[in-house]
Amino acid sequence: MNRFTRRELAVTLSASAVLLGSLEGQTPAPAPPVNPQVSPDDELKAARAQLRDNADQLDKVPLSMAAEPATTFRP
Amino acid sequence: MSSISDDIFFASIAEINQKLTKSEFSAVELARAFCDRLETIGPRYNALALSLRKGALRDAKEVDGDIKRERLRGHLQGIPFGAKDLLAYAKHPTTWGAQPYAGQVFDYTASVLKRIQKRGGLLTGKLAMVELAGGPSYRYASASLTGPGLNPWDSTRWSGGSSSGSAIAVAAGLVTYALGSETSGSILTPSAFCGVTGLRPTYGLVPRHGAMALSWTLDKIGPICRSAEDCGLVLEAIAGAEFEDPSSARKSFYYTPQFARDLKDVRVGFAPVDFNEAVDPAARADYAKALETIRSLGVNVVEAKLPEFPYGAVIGTIISAEGSAVFEEMIQSGKVDQLADQHQIAGLKAGLEISANDYLKAMRIRALIQEAFRDLLSTTDVLIAPTRFDPAPKITQPLDRRAVDRPAPATPGLAALIPAGNLAGLPALSIPCGFANGMPMGLQLVGSPFSENMLLAIGKTFQDRTDWHKRRPPLATP
Repeated sequence: MNRFTRRELAVTLSASAVLLGSLEGQTPAPAPPVNPQVSPDDELKAARAQLRDNADQLDKVPLSMAAEPATTFRP
Repeated sequence: MSSISDDIFFASIAEINQKLTKSEFSAVELARAFCDRLETIGPRYNALALSLRKGALRDAKEVDGDIKRERLRGHLQGIPFGAKDLLAYAKHPTTWGAQPYAGQVFDYTASVLKRIQKRGGLLTGKLAMVELAGGPSYRYASASLTGPGLNPWDSTRWSGGSSSGSAIAVAAGLVTYALGSETSGSILTPSAFCGVTGLRPTYGLVPRHGAMALSWTLDKIGPICRSAEDCGLVLEAIAGAEFEDPSSARKSFYYTPQFARDLKDVRVGFAPVDFNEAVDPAARADYAKALETIRSLGVNVVEAKLPEFPYGAVIGTIISAEGSAVFEEMIQSGKVDQLADQHQIAGLKAGLEISANDYLKAMRIRALIQEAFRDLLSTTDVLIAPTRFDPAPKITQPLDRRAVDRPAPATPGLAALIPAGNLAGLPALSIPCGFANGMPMGLQLVGSPFSENMLLAIGKTFQDRTDWHKRRPPLATP
């Protein structure tokens, strides 16, 4: 848990006010287009289908036992 | 009366630094002018997450004192810059562009910001971004706490993401340079769409401490600037070993264009199909000229093709698995439903279900990809391709559907270079190289790990012979 002094809290709150102020000046965001045919459940089903499709594509790559995961990321 | 002319908002780091040290204007005057512009114009494009005027002016006063006492701290001293709102700045809100984190405040500052501030850089604002840097994927440009990033070249079009505010702010002259981040395309894409120069460093070169994680094994922080030279100067400041970053490659970077390899010894690979068939027809003439310019640098231009792998499936699996693990608490708590983009919400939820076997399979294929790129780049030093094949889409255009109806090219060319380069941890530079119906287009250069100096040398020489990077969007001209 972060501990703040009263002075730090005041700085944070004033910064938040600036943030809110700047958001008020933003060009209003058009609402994301909503397709009433697509419910959150349908979106989830589609996301799962995409992951399954990814998995199917991965399955097609031949992998020998020597092909170890890329656990060292220093190129 | 201020002696800051409008040209200063679009000047290079070296030009501004020279004027500061010659006392043509003070750092305080400069910071004030940039803050005014950022606060006035930034919101018009949904580019600003948080103005940091007070701190910037305080730091500028110190810089003025240092310059007066001839305590010079390099090119970035006194230069105003912005940072993607995924970087922590102590005691100030860091929203990651996402509603569930709107009130988030850290008590520490990201390493890259500390490094620039140590050199006298003036942080004037946190810049807008796509929520959670795009997460596993998103469907609409409006997937952001601050609304869709609007392109300064045409505000009905998207800026690109996820480093949207960073690219907008540089293109519109609201900051001299900005920091962005890339997991797969988040520096290169907005740089290309907004007509600025973006550098994705080699994985591990720039410390990620204090940056939001989306994918521990893919995230990189890099500069978005007006020129390749500015990218080199910023990279020099932010790169280097960092003990608080477990992925640090523990390497430094010194921008040394004077010691760049002779371009006559450099082999540049490209796929003709990218330039003839794949790219937007309205931009083909400019891309043909860009290729000619590349040839005129004296490099050996040869044909190249990417090793065959399902790059999209590999990177999709890795980002989904790691991203959902990063945000598991938010997903499980239900706060994920506060995000703006339904596609991203669903993707994060589904990502928790990826099996260990699928993740490991993706990482094993990734190792093969890295090996294949080592082979390819042992015979070809640099790969080039259009950064994006089409200009910025309209902000209401679904991003998961292709907006154009021209036939797919006969061969894939280097179309998968963005996911492939990210999977292999390779550095990339996107430079402006023309327009398609008034919208900027970019050329990406990809090289071996830690070959940033070579990419920057090619980019700088290209920009010495062209002026695409100097063009200014009409809306940003006061």
